Amino acid sequence: MSDLDVREEYLAATAPGEEIALEIGDGDFQTADMSLSIGPAHPATHGVFRIVLELDGERVREARPVIGYMHRGFEKLAEHRDYRQIKALVNRHDWLSGFSNELGVALAVEQMMEFEVPERAQWIRMLIAEWNRILNHLMFIGSYALELGAITPMFYAFREREDIQHLLESATGGRLHFTYNQVGGLKIDLPKGFLAESARVSALVRSRFPDYLDLILGNEIFHGRSKGVGPLPTDVALSIGVSGPTLHATGLPEDSRVTEPYLKYDEIDVEVPVGENGDAYDRFYCLVHRIRASLDIIDQIHDRIPAGPVNSKLPKMVKAPEGATYVRTENPLGQLGYWLESDGGRTPWRLKMRTPSFSNVQAIPYLMRGQLLPDAISILGSVFFVVGDIDR
Amino acid sequence: MTEVLAHRSRALTPEETEELLRDRLGDHVQRAVVEYGIFTLWIAPEGWLEAARRCREERLLAYDMFDTLLGVDAREDGFDVVAVLYSTSTGNRLALRTRCPGGRDAPTLDSLTEVYRGANWMERETYDMFGIAFTGHPGLTPRILTVDNFEGWPLRKDFHLAARAAKPWPGVAEPVELDEEGNKIERERAIGDAPGPYELDKAMAAQAQAVNAPPAPAVDEPEAAEVAEGTAEDAAAADGAAAAGDDGAAAAPAAEDAASSPEPTPAERRKQQAEARAAKARERAEKAKARAAAKQAAQQQDEQPAAAGDQPAAEQPAAAGDQPADEQPATDDAAQPAAPEAEAAAEDATDEDVDPRVAARRKRQAEARAKRAQARQQQRASTEDDGEDDA
Repeated sequence: MSDLDVREEYLAATAPGEEIALEIGDGDFQTADMSLSIGPAHPATHGVFRIVLELDGERVREARPVIGYMHRGFEKLAEHRDYRQIKALVNRHDWLSGFSNELGVALAVEQMMEFEVPERAQWIRMLIAEWNRILNHLMFIGSYALELGAITPMFYAFREREDIQHLLESATGGRLHFTYNQVGGLKIDLPKGFLAESARVSALVRSRFPDYLDLILGNEIFHGRSKGVGPLPTDVALSIGVSGPTLHATGLPEDSRVTEPYLKYDEIDVEVPVGENGDAYDRFYCLVHRIRASLDIIDQIHDRIPAGPVNSKLPKMVKAPEGATYVRTENPLGQLGYWLESDGGRTPWRLKMRTPSFSNVQAIPYLMRGQLLPDAISILGSVFFVVGDIDR
Repeated sequence: MTEVLAHRSRALTPEETEELLRDRLGDHVQRAVVEYGIFTLWIAPEGWLEAARRCREERLLAYDMFDTLLGVDAREDGFDVVAVLYSTSTGNRLALRTRCPGGRDAPTLDSLTEVYRGANWMERETYDMFGIAFTGHPGLTPRILTVDNFEGWPLRKDFHLAARAAKPWPGVAEPVELDEEGNKIERERAIGDAPGPYELDKAMAAQAQAVNAPPAPAVDEPEAAEVAEGTAEDAAAADGAAAAGDDGAAAAPAAEDAASSPEPTPAERRKQQAEARAAKARERAEKAKARAAAKQAAQQQDEQPAAAGDQPAAEQPAAAGDQPADEQPATDDAAQPAAPEAEAAAEDATDEDVDPRVAARRKRQAEARAKRAQARQQQRASTEDDGEDDA
């Protein structure tokens, strides 16, 4: 049975707007309230993240995420760094999407300085950003399945991750913190033969992509653990500020690569996979299919990269003029925004990181209310987050 | 699937947005700025909540997505708060900005949590970082990112980076302190300036002096003790030692001045710690006594047969309201109508010298014994019946 058939069946079985009956503690079985603290060091939270559940029997009455265990004060540190030094700071908050993080800051500074970035640099930025997105999503495919009790997908995911890591290492020299962006372009040009290698890896990952569909999305146990678990309506998601796969799962293809294109995203086709019910299955479905969408983008970019320089000469002193800007990019986990305010000095006056994980995790109390305790773990894993991205 | 940018054609320009909001909010709209691709609308703090509500509910604006909320240090004028909103139907983005009333001392602002759910954590973060109190927020504490006992507001410009105070930045000066040619800019200090290298040097020198200085009381003790003996002959030995300590501290050289506060001697510290421990122990003992009394009172109530049977279980926690939660099951057991043996055990338990917890456990055990005995009796009866049938 293919993935789409399963989905059809599932959608037919669960009518939208169906109420989940909540009969807590009435009848003969009186249950006592219990407070359960998960974390801060617990495998299901993949990081130092704590969540306190108020349980009534096996139902979650209230969930309170406790964050801040990993707060490193990046916003304060950024106020003491030169504009060029910030990129080394910001690619650390979401350690699975280092390149996409630095991209936002580079774009914000360039926007304020009204800097023309060479065409080639813009295309290469897109290429690396999409590879970074796949890297990130592969990690979450592995970890979400692991949280639901399946260890094999992790090995599959890391097989692909290793190929992509090698590819990116050849261009940037880094595996996790790339620091490949610069204000005004890129650090260095791509090495010789990079595009051919990139095309090879792209074909390889594409050929292995059906493995994930069969292994996880077509898995009956996985369906049992994720379908109908933690549904999120679109209006609530928007009011909270949820973005990325978690928002797309609710049926809204709000993706800044499409709606507010930056770089050259307006010149290529970007597909945004969407779900319908906004439950854990849909969130994971969107995540997996975003890999395919990113591979499509990468294949389009290979043919389009022009020749030319990749960086431009910077003034000796990089100074953003007085004023403020807000740059939003589509990070792998959702919308990453940087509010950059300058007083005309050599360091930012204020750099606010609007990180996707912070806003997405804020939806957890809503998602877990009234759900069963085992489903709480499933929900926690399906709101894909990186703890460093929450705490900054 | 919902459409995005469905009303792209109806999207209002910044001028039209300003006009519409001016019509709805009157003078609360102060000015509009479009710079570097972001449209900022300055709102008077009194109209902050109303402006956000209008932005969300006006059908032409339809800012349905709460993007972010942040504080900005505005030097002597206090703090600004910016809320960034986005509309998925028109694709517009708007930044509402206001200056908090209350200056630097007590900045306050209305909370947006009743309009956008996402404002909850964003405002908690802003409170944590800037100390801006949002009125109408469901709970700004505990602090969301820093630890609960953290002092100060980290993102205010007058809060200096701890790493810089401890260790100077590699290089001659801060990036902010050099001009284009790399020369140091001489100017007056303002809010937001990082402590300069010279001040750091001074601070470090003082620190080093304090660390390397000879421990004053230990060196001066013999001399000072003699002085003490000379001045107060009849003083007891203990008093003399204390006086010596004082004199020693007073006679300490300038090294002592460099350190911000004189350090207590190890003996004094030990004494203080012991006192603190004793005080804590006393406190604990008092608390335990109070708990025991409350428990006993509750149990005595339970033992009145009518009350024990009729009282609904929900009232029990109220009767023993000041007890910790982990002792709750014991009182619940006490509330149930008990077997005769159990009651006897409970009466025993009311003796003053028996710990209420032990009493409860004994009572439970007695109940269990009674139940087991009953079960055995029933079993015996049934086997007898079976035997008869077989016969």
